[in-house]
Amino acid sequence: MKLNRREFLTLTGKTTAGAVIFAACGLPERELIVQSPVDLPEDLVRGEDAWYATSMGDFTNGDGVLVRVMEGRAKKIEGNPDHPVNRGKSTARYDSVLQLLYHPDRISDPMRRFSKGGNLVDISWRQAEAQFQDALVNANGSLTVVTNPLRGHLGSVASKFAAKFNGRHMSFDPIEQGVLHGAVKSVLGQDQLPTFDIANASTVLSFGADWLGTWGSPAQFGVKYGEFRSQGNRGYLIHADPRMSLTAAAADLWLAPKPGTEGDLALGIASVIVKEGLASVANIAAFNAALPGGLSGYSVAEVAGKTEIPAARIEKAARHFAGNTPAVAFGGGSAGAHTNGSFNLGAIYSLNLLVGAVGARGGVTANPGSAFEDISASATGASFESWEAELAQWRAGNVETVIIRGVDIVYGMPNSVAVREALDNVPNVITFGAVLDDTMAFADLVLPELTFLETWGTDIPEPGPGYQVVGIQQPVVGPTVTQDETGLISNARGFGDMLLAMAGGSFGSSMERIVMDAVSELHDTGRGSVSASSSALFMNGVLQRGGWWDTGEKGAQGTAGRISTTTKSAGYSDTNALGTGEDFHLVPFVSNSLFDGRLAATPWAQQTPDPISSASWSTWAEINSQQAKELGIRQGDVLLIRSTSGEIEALAYPHPGIRPGVIGVPIGQGHAEGGRWAEGRGSNVLSILVDKKDSETGALAWAATRVRVQRAGRRVKVPKYEGEVEARAAEPGVPILVVGPGETAEQAEKANHHEYQGSLFKDD
Amino acid sequence: MTTASLKGPNWGMVVDVDKCIGCMACVIACQAENNVPLNTQDRVERGRAISWIRVERYWEGDFPDSKARFIPIMCQHCANAPCEPVCPVFATYHNSEGLNIQVYNRCVGTRYCANGCPYIVRFFNYWEPVWPESLRNHLNPDVTVRSRGIMEKCTFCVHRIRRESRKARSEGRVLLDGEVQTACSTACPTSALNFGNFNDPNSKVSKMKDDQRHYTLLDQFATEPNVIYLAKVDTDRKVGAGEAASHG
Amino acid sequence: MQQRRPLDQVYTNRKLLNGQLDTPRWWLPTVSILGVLVLIGIGVIAIMVNKGLGVTGLSRPVFWGLFITTFVFWVGISHAGIMISAILRLTQAEWRRPVTRAAELLTVFSLLTALVFPLIHAGRPWRIAYWITPYDLGRGIYPNIRSPLIWDPVAIGTYLTGSTLFLYVALLPDLGNLRDRTTGWRNSLYTVLALGWRGNPRQWKLQTVGGILLSALMLPIFVSVHSIVSWDFAVVPAVEGWHSTIFAPYFVIGAIHSGVSAVVTMMALMRWLWKWDDFIRPEHFDALARLLIVVATAWLGFTFLELIFAVYGQDAPEIALREMQMFQWPWNMLFIIFLLCAYLIPVPMWLFKRVRTNIALMFWTSILVNIGMWLERFLIIVPGLSRRTPFVYVWDSYRPSAVEWTILIWSFCWVTFLMLLFSKFFPLVPLFEQKESQVFTDDVMIGRARVPAIIREAD
Ligand SMILES: Nc1nc2c(c(=O)[nH]1)N[C@H]1C(S)=C(S)[C@@H](COP(=O)(O)OP(=O)(O)OC[C@H]3O[C@@H](n4cnc5c(=O)[nH]c(N)nc54)[C@H](O)[C@@H]3O)O[C@H]1N2
Ligand code: SF4
Ligand code: SF4
Ligand code: SF4
Ligand code: SF4
Repeated sequence: MKLNRREFLTLTGKTTAGAVIFAACGLPERELIVQSPVDLPEDLVRGEDAWYATSMGDFTNGDGVLVRVMEGRAKKIEGNPDHPVNRGKSTARYDSVLQLLYHPDRISDPMRRFSKGGNLVDISWRQAEAQFQDALVNANGSLTVVTNPLRGHLGSVASKFAAKFNGRHMSFDPIEQGVLHGAVKSVLGQDQLPTFDIANASTVLSFGADWLGTWGSPAQFGVKYGEFRSQGNRGYLIHADPRMSLTAAAADLWLAPKPGTEGDLALGIASVIVKEGLASVANIAAFNAALPGGLSGYSVAEVAGKTEIPAARIEKAARHFAGNTPAVAFGGGSAGAHTNGSFNLGAIYSLNLLVGAVGARGGVTANPGSAFEDISASATGASFESWEAELAQWRAGNVETVIIRGVDIVYGMPNSVAVREALDNVPNVITFGAVLDDTMAFADLVLPELTFLETWGTDIPEPGPGYQVVGIQQPVVGPTVTQDETGLISNARGFGDMLLAMAGGSFGSSMERIVMDAVSELHDTGRGSVSASSSALFMNGVLQRGGWWDTGEKGAQGTAGRISTTTKSAGYSDTNALGTGEDFHLVPFVSNSLFDGRLAATPWAQQTPDPISSASWSTWAEINSQQAKELGIRQGDVLLIRSTSGEIEALAYPHPGIRPGVIGVPIGQGHAEGGRWAEGRGSNVLSILVDKKDSETGALAWAATRVRVQRAGRRVKVPKYEGEVEARAAEPGVPILVVGPGETAEQAEKANHHEYQGSLFKDD
Repeated sequence: MTTASLKGPNWGMVVDVDKCIGCMACVIACQAENNVPLNTQDRVERGRAISWIRVERYWEGDFPDSKARFIPIMCQHCANAPCEPVCPVFATYHNSEGLNIQVYNRCVGTRYCANGCPYIVRFFNYWEPVWPESLRNHLNPDVTVRSRGIMEKCTFCVHRIRRESRKARSEGRVLLDGEVQTACSTACPTSALNFGNFNDPNSKVSKMKDDQRHYTLLDQFATEPNVIYLAKVDTDRKVGAGEAASHG
Repeated sequence: MQQRRPLDQVYTNRKLLNGQLDTPRWWLPTVSILGVLVLIGIGVIAIMVNKGLGVTGLSRPVFWGLFITTFVFWVGISHAGIMISAILRLTQAEWRRPVTRAAELLTVFSLLTALVFPLIHAGRPWRIAYWITPYDLGRGIYPNIRSPLIWDPVAIGTYLTGSTLFLYVALLPDLGNLRDRTTGWRNSLYTVLALGWRGNPRQWKLQTVGGILLSALMLPIFVSVHSIVSWDFAVVPAVEGWHSTIFAPYFVIGAIHSGVSAVVTMMALMRWLWKWDDFIRPEHFDALARLLIVVATAWLGFTFLELIFAVYGQDAPEIALREMQMFQWPWNMLFIIFLLCAYLIPVPMWLFKRVRTNIALMFWTSILVNIGMWLERFLIIVPGLSRRTPFVYVWDSYRPSAVEWTILIWSFCWVTFLMLLFSKFFPLVPLFEQKESQVFTDDVMIGRARVPAIIREAD
């Protein structure tokens, strides 16, 4: 059945009364009347706000959002309360996308470079299409489509497109998830990332992954964390990370292992549990089965030596983990970004076997495959190793045409692979994007792309909530007008639609059509959160709720496998050749607001204070405050951070929440392009990573770089929100009151002299 | 809670510090909702950044026992607000719903109230707020853009209160608990921020505020805040252990 | 008492009216340069009002800075007028005579200057209708009488009105004098201004009684003005170092200290510029310095009381603030300069008569006092704001911007400019008072020296 938008609107009016029956979760009582499909320009003049549900495509792991639209303009992005992933909640990154939508430096028209190194000049879409066509024809099989890891139907469109022209579709993710997927597969036997039932766990033991800030599905995990802390028996969080991330700060027990020894730490914890008999015999057997070579060499004393964490802390963690079940262990992020990443993560995930967490309430549950046969429920970037091979082909001139979308490979890849050089040897580099990025500066054809707020798509969240979910992405604002005084420019087109058009419609006519067909497919299953008598009504219901989910369709537990032990000890890069300075272990971390740099163009993301340092608009380097004191490094000192692949500058921010010998630098700044707010700001820590790889998956070991650090001799003000002095509890009465378990605020106030008076002279 | 005790609602917030993870979702949600001017690098460096809600981070202890503690701070909507009596022009006053109101067009910009506010949650517009023309498209039409020279601060998203109240009134019913949510409380993933009516004994916030961990900031000034905090729990802290918390 | 030569009326007239009757050579260039500086200052103020207070160094949490400091400073200076004229007149201190006029002028001009600061420091000075006058009652909008910021303009306005009247009443006989000695437009001007002054006994009586009554009426204002200014700070409990019950007397005595010192500075300048060695004499400096020793010491007492209160009350945050103020960079540097300038250097020097009668030394020490007293206000206002107990997270410092410094300098140029302009048209030393004192004095022979004996001062 074919429906146009006008008909949808009419339908909405008629159907909200009850023709659409919301099954499964039921429609929560709330005030927002979430509109069904976008309908313009009628809602332009109503003077009332409309909320449209959509899926946050490229900027989250599949969070469902509501976008407030007024007079045809998007005003606010909030979590969709119905959506099973983030349940109405947000991250600090949501609203920034509005600023990409309305970015003053949004690319207005297609641009072409007539010779490598020449300038980009505006061309018409007709010319752009012609050149695109030429590039496809010339490619004759030597074509690569490069995207971010795409979930849902857009991914399949990209793959089909590449296949049609006998090319490859390669995904790139600067923070690769390959090691994580590998470990989950090998230990838990699951293809998709599992879901962690944090809300019902008594103990959570996590490694490396900043799951409350940036890792996985932070909004989802944040909601669960709130519930975790609300339990009658307040959950206990143990987090291991050499640097204090959001998650480490939230933890009741923070362990700061030597980078690369996370796997050892996990096995050390296991050995305490086994030795003290804290786990059941069956669980220990299951655990041993997954562990080639057993626990010899992982006694707590040995592990304390390797990880440089006192044995008592390891024992404390182990006793908590095994003693207060349900417990769940997971990890990722820097813990997997080592040459022994697969071993580390394998060891970490295997801890779940020891406490019987697999498939259990409060443990780790599998996610099902996707609701669509031809769409995978999982998307990861290709490994660094494959990228090295691919780029070698580019450099050798074996690839004629490269189409790049949603990822800034020039920015995201380390210097060692020389992406720029590779791009220079590709005759046709075609890029899509909303704001110019560092890669587009090497493109021959730059095509303005619509954002996810303006296009159709589907989304399969990963990690999902433990059952099947399909998020629907719809254009919430119509194509905006050009040339008016608001400076709005959007002569852009959707990536998917453009590929479909260039492929001559052979595997779909438009993304809208594809989404409609997909929704019909869901309707045909006859199950899920929306049931309706006709497919039009079904479509309406799905759009109104922001997607479709079936709580009954759970993931199947895989069979536990064995952890990888290819390389048990981490290897680090060498600093011998680096001249003067102090040796540090570089731990890059994903910025809470800029993410991996994809939001750097927006002022909101730039201005958001980093939770730990409160810094903004800059690249800073976190080092341990005691060590800084010894080295004479003060806040704001410009540091030169040098690895064998290059050097960057960062402003010192010493604090007590990082291991001595480790230097933490946020990812996300240091763009050459990116519009007025990103250009030439800060440094790109990704560029100085060395080409160390995980021995199992070939993923970039982005936490295995060692650097030499030196003061540049300058000191500047760190653009931070914290005042001039380090915010410590300098005197009684600081606003944070801390109570012990079961203690009342009153008792704590008394004990702490929380009130002002009298602590200086009266005895403490 | 003097003025708000008549009949209408007494709006307030319960902040569970124990759940705050410092994620800054509330901070950006408030910026977007309330048309807060862009905090450029210069403004941040010079201490002029405007952030109606801020998440303060305090360090405690030294490595490896160091702890970072977060606490979100916004206008406490004090029933006995020290910012109010000092304003020469009544640009800031208390309304009957427990809100500390800021009347932008009255304000002459003496910044006296900002000195008076012990919580330092008032923000002065040192410059005219500017957005590149295209970014003005995301401005919230429900909220005034404040001009240079005046004070601004958290309003408890009064426009949302008004919108929902109006809707309830037009539908001839009372507001339900939870119907009005501020931008920050909506965003907060962990539900550290909870907004509601303290005059309704059955509201979520009324129940939460009786938690044994409840305290208010700066009791010594007797400001009677409408923001109630629930203390951070630290399992390492022995009950009555004196030192642990505020002496770092 | 040292010797001095007898002054006849002709000499007195010629000497004291030399500003009006013939212009000293330095006058025009000085006034022109000052005029240019004043214009530059006004330009900077205009830019600030136009662009916004972003051009200052203010921030959060230091919302008040140089402008309010300078406001308090000039209000303080204005206390000299009443101190010298009213109190000394009521107590019939003879040595006041040559300096009353200049002191009153300083009051009027410094008040005019002081008023500028709260206005330009406001974010929207053009909205003063709500705040100062006229109140915007037409729309049913009332000012908030609980706010000291309402009482500041009321007190200062009253003080300004009173001082202007006072100045004018005392000027009447001299205006008559000038009228009689000028021709042309000046004559017309003085005729109007002299209000028919003929110097008959009834007029003299009215003038004298008026002066004394005004003096008496001004006394409560004298106390109230700086008290009210002090309440701008004292009523704010949230700022450590502001919330103090002793602020009113503390501010008033501090105001006298700085005001009288400013008068000393001015007297020295007048003596040099107009060569009034015969009228402004070392014994005047001597007397003022003696007064200053007492005032300064009382003021120092208050300063230490402040510290003692903190310690005695065991108020940890306040002690912490004082600790910062006195021992932490850069506050400690300012604190030391402040203490040295406002007390430790000048007051011990003044204990020596040789210093008290040395015009140059008096000039420089009185300047030191006012540097110190400006710093005192700065140290009261800024550190407490910068260190907002107990939100350590927002502690931030304050560095005044070039705009603020320019406007501060402007205020000095402006006051000097006004004084010099005034001196061109009106006598800076009241002739009639001077002559009155000459009538009251007689010379006695002690040995072979003729020594002035001041009749009135004997009783
Ligand atoms: N009977 C009667 N007639 C009257 C009056 C009266 O009181 N009674 N008043 C008179 C007066 S004072 C006036 S001013 C006129 C007003 O008469 P009009 O100027 O006709 O004003 P509106 O009726 O508001 O219609 C304006 C149209 O512009 C559209 N519009 C809104 N925003 C935009 C935009 O951004 N761009 C564009 N292109 N269109 C937009 C609206 O949808 C609407 O259709 O009526 C006059 N006629
Ligand atoms: S928190 Fe500050 S601004 Fe808000 S009502 Fe209280 S005193 Fe006023
Ligand atoms: S800044 Fe505005 S609100 Fe604050 S005291 Fe001054 S006039 Fe009142
Ligand atoms: S209540 Fe509204 S105005 Fe206040 S901090 Fe939250 S979002 Fe901002
Ligand atoms: S959104 Fe919630 S958890 Fe995040 S910083 Fe704000 S209050 Fe804390």
